[in-house]
Amino acid sequence: MAWSVGTLTFVLVRTLPGDMAYKIAASRYGDDAVSTASAAAVRAELGLDSPAWQQYFHWLSNLITLDLGDSLVSGAPVVQELQHQLGYTLLLAVCAMLVSVIIAFPLGILSGARPSSAVDNSIMVGSTFVRAQPVFSLGLLLIFLFAMELNWLPVAGFGEPRHLILPALTLGLSLAAISNRIIRSSTINVLHSAYYQFARIKGMSRFSTFCRHGIRNILLPVIAFMGIQLIGLIEGVIMVESVFAWPGIGHGLSHAVFARDIPMLQGAALVFGLMFVALNTLIDVCCARLDPRGVRQ
Amino acid sequence: MFRNLCLIIFIALAGLTGCSAPDSSDTLSISGPFEPISLDPARSGYIFSRMQVIETLVDIDNKGQLKPGLATRWEHSKDNRVWTFYLRPNVVFHDQSAMNADAVVNSLNIAFSKPAPYPQDLVEAVTALNESTVQITLSRPYRPFASLLTNYTTAILSPASYNESQEITKLSGTGPYQVEEFQPPHRVGVTKFQNYWGEPAHVSKVVYTTGHRAETRALMVASGQTDIVYNLDAASVDLLKVSKKAKVDSTLIPRTILIKVNASYPALADVKVRQALSLAIDRQGIATKILRVEDIEANQLFGPSMGVWHDATLPPAEQDVKRANALLDEAGWLQDDSGIRHKNGSPLKLNMITYANRAELIVIATALQNQWAQIGVDLRVHMENASAIPSGHADGTLQLALMARNFANIPDPLGIMLADFTSTEGGDWGPMGWQNPSVFSALSALPLVQDKKAYASQVQNIMHQINADLPVIPVVFYMQQSAVAPRVENFSFDPYERSFRLSDITLKPAS
Amino acid sequence: MIIKRMPTLQPAQQLGLALVLMLLIFALGEGAFYAADPNTQQLAKAFSPPSTAMPLGADQFGRDMFARLGAALRLSFLLSALCVATSAITGVAAGICAAWAGGVVEKVLNFVVNTILALPGLVLVLLFAAIVPGSFIMLYLAISLTLWVEYFRLVRATAKPLINGPQLQSSMLLSFGRWYCFRRHIWPAIAPDVCTLAAFGAATSIITMASVGFVYVGLQPPTAELGLMIVELFSYYSDAPWLLAQPLIALFLMVLGFHLLAGKKTL
Repeated sequence: MAWSVGTLTFVLVRTLPGDMAYKIAASRYGDDAVSTASAAAVRAELGLDSPAWQQYFHWLSNLITLDLGDSLVSGAPVVQELQHQLGYTLLLAVCAMLVSVIIAFPLGILSGARPSSAVDNSIMVGSTFVRAQPVFSLGLLLIFLFAMELNWLPVAGFGEPRHLILPALTLGLSLAAISNRIIRSSTINVLHSAYYQFARIKGMSRFSTFCRHGIRNILLPVIAFMGIQLIGLIEGVIMVESVFAWPGIGHGLSHAVFARDIPMLQGAALVFGLMFVALNTLIDVCCARLDPRGVRQ
Repeated sequence: MFRNLCLIIFIALAGLTGCSAPDSSDTLSISGPFEPISLDPARSGYIFSRMQVIETLVDIDNKGQLKPGLATRWEHSKDNRVWTFYLRPNVVFHDQSAMNADAVVNSLNIAFSKPAPYPQDLVEAVTALNESTVQITLSRPYRPFASLLTNYTTAILSPASYNESQEITKLSGTGPYQVEEFQPPHRVGVTKFQNYWGEPAHVSKVVYTTGHRAETRALMVASGQTDIVYNLDAASVDLLKVSKKAKVDSTLIPRTILIKVNASYPALADVKVRQALSLAIDRQGIATKILRVEDIEANQLFGPSMGVWHDATLPPAEQDVKRANALLDEAGWLQDDSGIRHKNGSPLKLNMITYANRAELIVIATALQNQWAQIGVDLRVHMENASAIPSGHADGTLQLALMARNFANIPDPLGIMLADFTSTEGGDWGPMGWQNPSVFSALSALPLVQDKKAYASQVQNIMHQINADLPVIPVVFYMQQSAVAPRVENFSFDPYERSFRLSDITLKPAS
Repeated sequence: MIIKRMPTLQPAQQLGLALVLMLLIFALGEGAFYAADPNTQQLAKAFSPPSTAMPLGADQFGRDMFARLGAALRLSFLLSALCVATSAITGVAAGICAAWAGGVVEKVLNFVVNTILALPGLVLVLLFAAIVPGSFIMLYLAISLTLWVEYFRLVRATAKPLINGPQLQSSMLLSFGRWYCFRRHIWPAIAPDVCTLAAFGAATSIITMASVGFVYVGLQPPTAELGLMIVELFSYYSDAPWLLAQPLIALFLMVLGFHLLAGKKTL
């Protein structure tokens, strides 16, 4: 996995048109100071003259020793930069997930409890509304509403908990728009299942039945579905970080694309890949814990 | 189990964001597009000089005249080759070590070995004559040398800032602010330095946050989140002018938005074509409708702030489509039924590069495309990275490029003119493939002119030729727009963009 | 014949179809009958409100918004149609191949798919878009590359049991050709899902194009493209909110139409 991702990025970036040294120089020295002289200095320093296959093998041998090299732009070790960004990205992702759970669960269960009621329909319209727009325009709308008109929250930046609210809300909303529908269908299934009906007939109260038999069974398909959502989450992270200037990996990645910062690109792509695999495994474990019968294929 | 999971996550989050919000009453928060990527002055020095962390030997006043910095005075030999700088006494670095000749020699030697906006082989030797005197010997006479030492790359750092391989591990300068936190490329936090040699700062803490998108930056100040925002885009200026949260400050700076022309490209080699392109530009429309500023139409290379290099007698630039068409007809480019002009069967198709870091450039490029279409020129705009301009210059593929040329890198225009306008080679951000032997020789002789009056008339004569021959086509002078929150007092904008002048600023107590 | 097997549409899907058709008619109609140039600037007419000459008013350069919106919608439709066609054909073909051939072929295809899946789609698109900035072709290739994987996984999972199932095996024993078997046994089973995926894919490709436009690596000005228009008009939200609303609403309706058309929420 690591090798293929790394190689893919290497080949892609290598085929980018234009001289790499210039792009790196522009990122290093600023727009006003990029010149043929500074590009030449960059080329000499980074050995960009050596043939591509040499550079590739050099990178490969480093990868085996878990050394991702230095960022071409800042000169700092990639691992260090990624660690720094990863913290922010994970923070944002976890918060967004939490937000989506907090929003999606009550809504999904509400609409599942009374399918096709007015509540259900209005929730459906709302979800469709949120889903039918790119994450960035959702972010813009929230900025206009909460930061500009109401002036409750900061527009962009980081450093204080307040800064986290809007990006997490944006991402959380876009995730919740999908997951609440899953929860809804899952709820309908559970509420109409034989075991649930039996529990009610047994004379258990609505609430205790729901706690004992409902939640766990509703969770199963939802958690399985989270795995699918992860891609959406990661893509959302890139856009949201760009809108809110949140210093995470997504932001670093789009910067690395501009600056042709290969080590950084490879590193970021690797981290995304590893994150994806790790989270999928985690979800499998969760599903197994919740349902030892091994429902998930 | 689910509840436990939630609890764990909440505790983790509380731990991560547990740092309490800073007391913002004595913290100034500012934002701009610049990305501090490294502590090295050669790379991100422009940020640290703006944040007043590092200082140079020579400083500049608002009019572009040199004034003492870390050096109180300097002198040079008759042939402009040997320069002697007398250092300011009793200056300490942020690490409390003394700023003396040895520290300066060490700092400059490292600076001159790194890429900078001046010829690499210019400096021959830097030596300490005594505790407070530094002598610099050049490889050739160079009249504007003192103005080179205003550049941020030559800022003086303490010897302890460097490790063995001359990389900067801890930035220790002499300015009124010292670096407290550094999170590349997003944030720099500085605090007041108590032992500053000059007037100490008023505000005790300043945080610079990179606002990568111009729109977002404007919203940050409009919502009261940020005190000062630099480099506003034109559209945001309108938004902020009606906002109570900020005042807009407009300062004309030594930057010109101009079109770099590859004069060795057959179609552009003819001065008539260049003049036609210039005449077809609706500068008034671009200035008022796109940039939303009056009276910045550029009729010449250097703006009004550039002293003798600016010719105040030139008539303002007017759009004249009729004359532009006539000139193109004369040059043999004739319009056919498609509306595009042709000559010897080949159409007048041109490519123009521009870059996204300055939002207004792409908008102006779009306007140019349209205005030139009216005189039968088919222009294609390519959005690139800024580095595409020097790279296109080097490999000769560039035809036209729209850029915001900074003339403040070295405040004396002579340095720029000598570097860019004295050979067919031109300069990365200047002319390209342009031939004008009389300008070349007049410029090369200029540094030897001692008499002020003669110098001024020579300069006027040279600029007259350049403004007529259009090796680059000036579009508009640059108006730098910043937004300032009402609680900020004593804000001023440095037209040479060397300093944010944070140490002058005081904050009104919250009412 | 394939059309005949299409499931009947739910009311919501009909609404979606109506929306998509309406936008398509607007886009094509504008091109055929209105036909103003979307890039002609008249700086004097900047921000002029809707009038008979310009039904949707003019943007910050006095360009006709009606013409720009039409052009932008045409572009989005073109891109989504190309991406969906390419990715569906590739994905279905590869899925069937993997299910039918098994062995090495399946392993190789799986490896390729997992590699692509390991990178978020947007990252790939960003990379490709950066290779040739402003190239429609690159954008199209990149989006198709990220979309076909879904078809592949779906088709492989559905087709595998079918191929080993009794009906298809007996057809094969009766020496019917593979094409017939595909048409008779596999296509009916996957058709609804493929159509759903196609509708979602169209929506995804439209959103992706707008998103890369938003981070400046998509198509370039002065192209009329929804994402770019949003970025350009974003700054004027206080001056002329009705201008910013136009591309936002157009994008929203387009994606909404395709989502509704997709009907049931596939995972």
